[in-house]
Amino acid sequence: MERREVLKLLASAAVLPALTPDAFSMFRSIHAGLAEAPGLKALNSHQDATVTIIAELILPQTDTPGAKAAKVNEFIDLILAEWYDDATTARFLAGLADVDQRSEKLFGKQFVDCTNAQQLQLMKVLDDEAAVARKQQATAEAISRKPAIAPLNFFGMMKKLTLLGYYTSQVGFEVELHKSIIPSSHAGCVAITGVA
Amino acid sequence: MCRHYGGGVAMAANTYDAIVIGSGMSGGWAAKELTEKGMQTLVLEAGRSIVPEVDYVEHVPPWGVKFRGLRDRKAESINRPIQSQIGDEWNAKFFVDDKENPYTTDSDKPYLFLRGRHVGGRSVMWGRQTYRLSDLDFEANLKEGLGVDWPIRYKDIEPWYNYVEDFIGVSGQAEGLPHLPDSKFLPPMEMNCAELAVKEAIAGKFPDGRMMTIGRVAILTESHRGRAACHYCGPCQRGCITRSYFSSVNSTLPAAQETGKLTLRPFSVVHSLIFDSKTRKITGVRVIDGQTREAMEFHARIVFLCASTLESARILLNSTTPEFPNGLANSSGELGHNLMDHIFKGGATGTIPGHEDHIQMGNRPNGIYVPRFRNIKQKHPAFLRGYGFQGGGHREGWERGSDMPGFGVDFKNMLKNPGPWRFNFTGFGECLPNHDNHLEIDKNKVDAWGIPALKINCQWRPNELAIYKDMSVTAAEMLEAAGAKDIVASTAQSLPGEGIHEMGSARMGRDPKTSVLNEHNQAHDVKNLFVTDGSCMVSSACVNPSLTYMALTARACDYAVGKMKRGEL
Ligand SMILES: Cc1cc2nc3c(=O)[nH]c(=O)nc-3n(C[C@H](O)[C@H](O)[C@H](O)COP(=O)(O)OP(=O)(O)OC[C@H]3O[C@@H](n4cnc5c(N)ncnc54)[C@H](O)[C@@H]3O)c2cc1C
Repeated sequence: MERREVLKLLASAAVLPALTPDAFSMFRSIHAGLAEAPGLKALNSHQDATVTIIAELILPQTDTPGAKAAKVNEFIDLILAEWYDDATTARFLAGLADVDQRSEKLFGKQFVDCTNAQQLQLMKVLDDEAAVARKQQATAEAISRKPAIAPLNFFGMMKKLTLLGYYTSQVGFEVELHKSIIPSSHAGCVAITGVA
Repeated sequence: MCRHYGGGVAMAANTYDAIVIGSGMSGGWAAKELTEKGMQTLVLEAGRSIVPEVDYVEHVPPWGVKFRGLRDRKAESINRPIQSQIGDEWNAKFFVDDKENPYTTDSDKPYLFLRGRHVGGRSVMWGRQTYRLSDLDFEANLKEGLGVDWPIRYKDIEPWYNYVEDFIGVSGQAEGLPHLPDSKFLPPMEMNCAELAVKEAIAGKFPDGRMMTIGRVAILTESHRGRAACHYCGPCQRGCITRSYFSSVNSTLPAAQETGKLTLRPFSVVHSLIFDSKTRKITGVRVIDGQTREAMEFHARIVFLCASTLESARILLNSTTPEFPNGLANSSGELGHNLMDHIFKGGATGTIPGHEDHIQMGNRPNGIYVPRFRNIKQKHPAFLRGYGFQGGGHREGWERGSDMPGFGVDFKNMLKNPGPWRFNFTGFGECLPNHDNHLEIDKNKVDAWGIPALKINCQWRPNELAIYKDMSVTAAEMLEAAGAKDIVASTAQSLPGEGIHEMGSARMGRDPKTSVLNEHNQAHDVKNLFVTDGSCMVSSACVNPSLTYMALTARACDYAVGKMKRGEL
């Protein structure tokens, strides 16, 4: 069915109350072409591998797919290449290099070559530092009233982008959060047991 | 749907019964009313056509836009530094290119002029909040000796509110408040758990009569006049393929089209009006074609100016003649003056404890409303008039994770579930008419079509600032009454214009010496000119104004066509 026909169908009042799963999957295929995987523009392959692992450690595969399956690395690459200003991107990449320096110092190898336990140990340190940095930044921004475009701390940036990239992906939105663009029902206040 | 011009039959070349300038909220209504009353009507619209099947993007998922909702920050900082402050990544295309559409201000008086240029104007992206004014508003200037008196009262506009609401469809809850009259309502949308709790906590608690109701909104909660009920996808501001919210494109323009008397001409940038000093009437309109830049003229017996508050004033200020060296229909000197907007963003947020086993289903495109409660029963010591609150409750989503410690399986599973209930109140406050808040032509600046641009001179004054200050206090009081935790008062304050409720630049009034328009939106100085957008407003009230623009437009059309049919115009 043509996009125009689908929309015509949707525009007719009769169809709407019972929007069929069929019509909805058509919606999906209409939009499928919109988000093609881009070639990487900001990250080299080593940086990309590091970002991919950190993102997956933040939101790992469980009974649902994780950050890697949602291609969060590609989203982060896009933000570094086309959204952050140069200084912010440089700060991110320096933070990424620092992760390797720390793992070299602690474990004698680059982050991607560490064991899972070693990676988690370093992640915990980075996460604790990010929490401190977040508080400092919030205080400073409340005073200056000039919010920065991104967290100043590398891990803070990494976490924010990972979450955004994951939950706005098709996997995160539909599989993890069970959301749909056209909700199956609506109500103001419903007990959760009555929902699932 | 309104894709091409044509359909209407021109009489002589480029000559019609009526010309409507602008196809937005008010222009759409003028087009509908005039064509339905038999007038061959030309609608001149500066921008492009909107084709719903192509342009509406409400069902595009977040992964369907390049930056997943973060917007194209770098490109916008160059071409759209002002408009980038409104809308979202999906509907940014409905707001103008700032380079093509410049305006100036003094550096210490910033003003945000936020708007679109396309068929439907801002009715395509508006927030759909729909409220009536009352006699509390219509009588205020007279009682307080401010500005001029409204030349109408509630009884004059009430039938036209009914008439407009009956067509557009307004959902809401009747409350019987004299100062916020009920509309003709479709069934109300439902409050969520936090909102029900806050509503109950507020009720009867405050001697000033504070109460909370569901937002009154021009969205259909049941099918209405051939348009389908809302399906709760949420982002109406990106369009609506089921036409469930009111816009010109969804409603009034199709109705006008159906009469066979509408000629809609997109890419028609009105430069100025042509005045005949013998008849003291407008004979036509000067237009620059938006694409070819060709200059042309169109003629009609009456002109409805509906280009929006700032743009209508600009067209009149650019229409100078020997009789009107300071702008057409400006013998009073009030044209461009008394510019108002609602001051907003005062308020507070908090966490509503409990209700964690409950959620809201669907994406309700509406919030709550707290009607004005200041200066109703008791006079407030610090300011005149008042404000209302919009806002509502929601459960925190995955976004909260960025500000929380943790990562890994437990972190992911925690974010899968909604967080605590949050609640916010955002105030919209009345702005007093002030002669010094004014528009003028900047002689050193033209737009992309060579038309002189506006210089906007507008500032908040002590009464607005006192209102703003009070918003955070009373919002926090209500949250406290509801047992909220982590209550934070807002520190953000809107710039003039940011409320996008600009109005007053060609006010109505009883006296031609102190006002531009009479009680029928007819220019005192030029009898076949009607200005029916927000420029006509004499005071700003504190409610979202578009319903009033629509009602006044329908009322003025009825008057104008009646006069024409009796040969008096
Ligand atoms: C994000 C947003 C949220 C809003 N929320 C609400 C709300 O909840 N409730 C409410 O009441 N109001 C709301 N508003 C305000 C509302 O949109 C306006 O009050 C309303 O659209 C004004 O109607 P109008 O006809 O005067 O102007 P518009 O709707 O802006 O239409 C003016 C039209 O004139 C055209 N035009 C301008 N200059 C020329 C020219 N020289 N020649 C030819 N054509 C021209 C424009 O292109 C445009 O199409 C909101 C606005 C925005 C942007």
